[in-house]
Amino acid sequence: MAVGLTGSIPDDQVLVRARGVTKRFGGLLAVNNVDFDIPRTSIVSLIGPNGAGKTTFFNMITGAYTPTQGEISFDGHPIVYLKGSKVKSRKPHEVTALGIGRTFQNIRLFGTMSALDNVRAGIHVHLRSHWWDSILRTPSMLNEELDTIDAAMGLLELVGLEDRADTWARNLPYGDQRRLEIARALGTRPKLLLLDEPTAGMNASETREMTDFIRKLRTELGLTVLLIEHDMRVVMGISDRITVLDHGEVIAEGTPADVRANPKVIEAYLGRGAAEA
Amino acid sequence: MTAETERVGTGPVGWIGHLVDSAAAFPGHYGRLLAANRTRTIVLTVLAIVALTYPIVYQQVFAPFSRNVFPLPFPDETTVTFMTIFAIMAIGLNIVAGFAGLLDLGYVAFYALGAYTSAFFASPHFGSVSIVLFANVADGFPGIHLPFWLILPLAVIIAATFGALLGAPTLRLRGDYLAIVTLGFGEIVPIFFKNLAAITFTFSIGGATIISLQNVNLTGGPLGINPIDPFIIFGIGFGATSGIAAVYFGILLTIIAIVVARNLERSRMGRAWGAIREDETAAEMMGVNTVRTKLLAFALGASFAGVAGAFQASYLGATTSDFFQFSTSILVLIMVILGGIGNIWGVLAGALALTYIDKSFLPWLGTRVQAVAPDFPNPTQFNFLIFGILLVAMMRFRPEGFLPSRQRAAELSVHGLQDAEEEMGVEVETDNISIAPHGQAETDRSAELPSEEKDL
Repeated sequence: MAVGLTGSIPDDQVLVRARGVTKRFGGLLAVNNVDFDIPRTSIVSLIGPNGAGKTTFFNMITGAYTPTQGEISFDGHPIVYLKGSKVKSRKPHEVTALGIGRTFQNIRLFGTMSALDNVRAGIHVHLRSHWWDSILRTPSMLNEELDTIDAAMGLLELVGLEDRADTWARNLPYGDQRRLEIARALGTRPKLLLLDEPTAGMNASETREMTDFIRKLRTELGLTVLLIEHDMRVVMGISDRITVLDHGEVIAEGTPADVRANPKVIEAYLGRGAAEA
Repeated sequence: MTAETERVGTGPVGWIGHLVDSAAAFPGHYGRLLAANRTRTIVLTVLAIVALTYPIVYQQVFAPFSRNVFPLPFPDETTVTFMTIFAIMAIGLNIVAGFAGLLDLGYVAFYALGAYTSAFFASPHFGSVSIVLFANVADGFPGIHLPFWLILPLAVIIAATFGALLGAPTLRLRGDYLAIVTLGFGEIVPIFFKNLAAITFTFSIGGATIISLQNVNLTGGPLGINPIDPFIIFGIGFGATSGIAAVYFGILLTIIAIVVARNLERSRMGRAWGAIREDETAAEMMGVNTVRTKLLAFALGASFAGVAGAFQASYLGATTSDFFQFSTSILVLIMVILGGIGNIWGVLAGALALTYIDKSFLPWLGTRVQAVAPDFPNPTQFNFLIFGILLVAMMRFRPEGFLPSRQRAAELSVHGLQDAEEEMGVEVETDNISIAPHGQAETDRSAELPSEEKDL
């Protein structure tokens, strides 16, 4: 069921293409027959009331959940595909290697690893040295580690945490933890960055900083960003396109202005918030 | 951040050059350590020297003194050799349980596999064949006889293979479930060795017999395999009668084990294990192939026990399945936990201390007690009672172990975190300290269930 813009974007400009994606948890239909396109270097938001299926959809893109039905492709590679009559999904680490990085709704850093090591763990997927290289500390392994440290420090600088490189992730202030999670996700060298409520729990100035930072990721690194966010100011201010989910279905899709004016959306979700805006 | 700050030339030449450079840089490095923390560096240096010279000092000074003047509980050559054997095992188990956070209660199985590798490939047991390769045994002598430098790699390969085999079906299990499966594996392997003394087995397809075994004695049954060749280097045998030669071989193996474990810890594998231990789901989402990484932890951890077992069997010159009881798995685990899970130096200390208490101190105490009060039960019978009390006391007062890793200290103890943070020179934010390491993980049992749909 194509609503709005999905389907109207030329193939070569589509980074993620989802068709007929459905996820059932027992009797619960969490995501129902969703079609969804993400154009390259765009910032797309996924909004909807709690329990609308946003995070479930995220988890299907990253390979954490296998959809009950449907197909998802990323940059020309199938992520969810049919094998015979069975729906198959790539493993999360394979999806990460293809170029999808993500953050989590409730921060999931490696708490007792330093900020630097968290980012290095993100880069892990691109490292090639084997365990025997590690045991022998071969030159290729040592040089790779040096490159990794350089790259990780670069990413910490990008998010403004270069001074906290040796601090354990769990001892960083909340806002820094959010930024470290993004740095760790950038370590996987993503083409698509999935941010699950990046400004949750932030005050107004932190939120503004984060919004500017997400824009910077797109303009400077050429990233495509898919965002789940409840803060409507962030969503309306930053998104090129917005997709609204309710009860697992796409009820609206379009530019912020379109979505804001859509009566279905106002009814289902924005309600009074939109009236005030 | 790391010791190496300059790029290293590639290839074997670069590697050798790097080793030479590292060796050349050692005096300067040592000087910096001395300047940074004088007491600690001096204590560690003294400890290292004591460890390396102990066998000779024991032989020349302590043993005659203990024999002729006053009996003191100095660990003898056999005890020290077993200290090295258990040290190797504790360091190996620490890779699985400490680095990767996978509880393994059947670690003794790999010890047994190593021992039987020695028994199969360096003994007259298979008398119907005669294979002598580079070994100090006359040609035509019955049985298979390989030298130690083939036995040890074989033990590594066999133990690692079975480690991976054990790992494969347990990959989706976490916590208690994993512990139960490894426990079962640890029971099966020794029973397997105990019972395969008379195999009669026929396999035929359409009247043509493919395999026919009549009463084949594979493992020697409850009697085990005896004798087993000692390891021999330059004509010196490392058997139980060879005194300090075997001790030094054990020390050499232990040093290799420490270096290997330490290098793994400081590599991308070490980080991946740490990530899995912290949050397996997040690790997978960040691109860590959790299946491969956990299998590698099992296989590499098992290979240490394989080496320890192969050395033990050749040292004793005999092996039986009775050596490989569940209690040995628990003993090694206690060494790891008491010493400080996750920290190589901690588990080393735990292994040395417990083996010493078990094999030297308690027997000595026993003879002293018997001399005074012959009716009092021998303290050697109480070894596990004593270890149990030690463990309970440790859990009450210092759950992170004697020499904890910083990570585990933070997870297990408020004080440990403060210590660790102060050591790191980082300000402690007291409102961030929590006893439970992963927030809801303490109560959320669903995270441990084998399930495709993980909580995200």
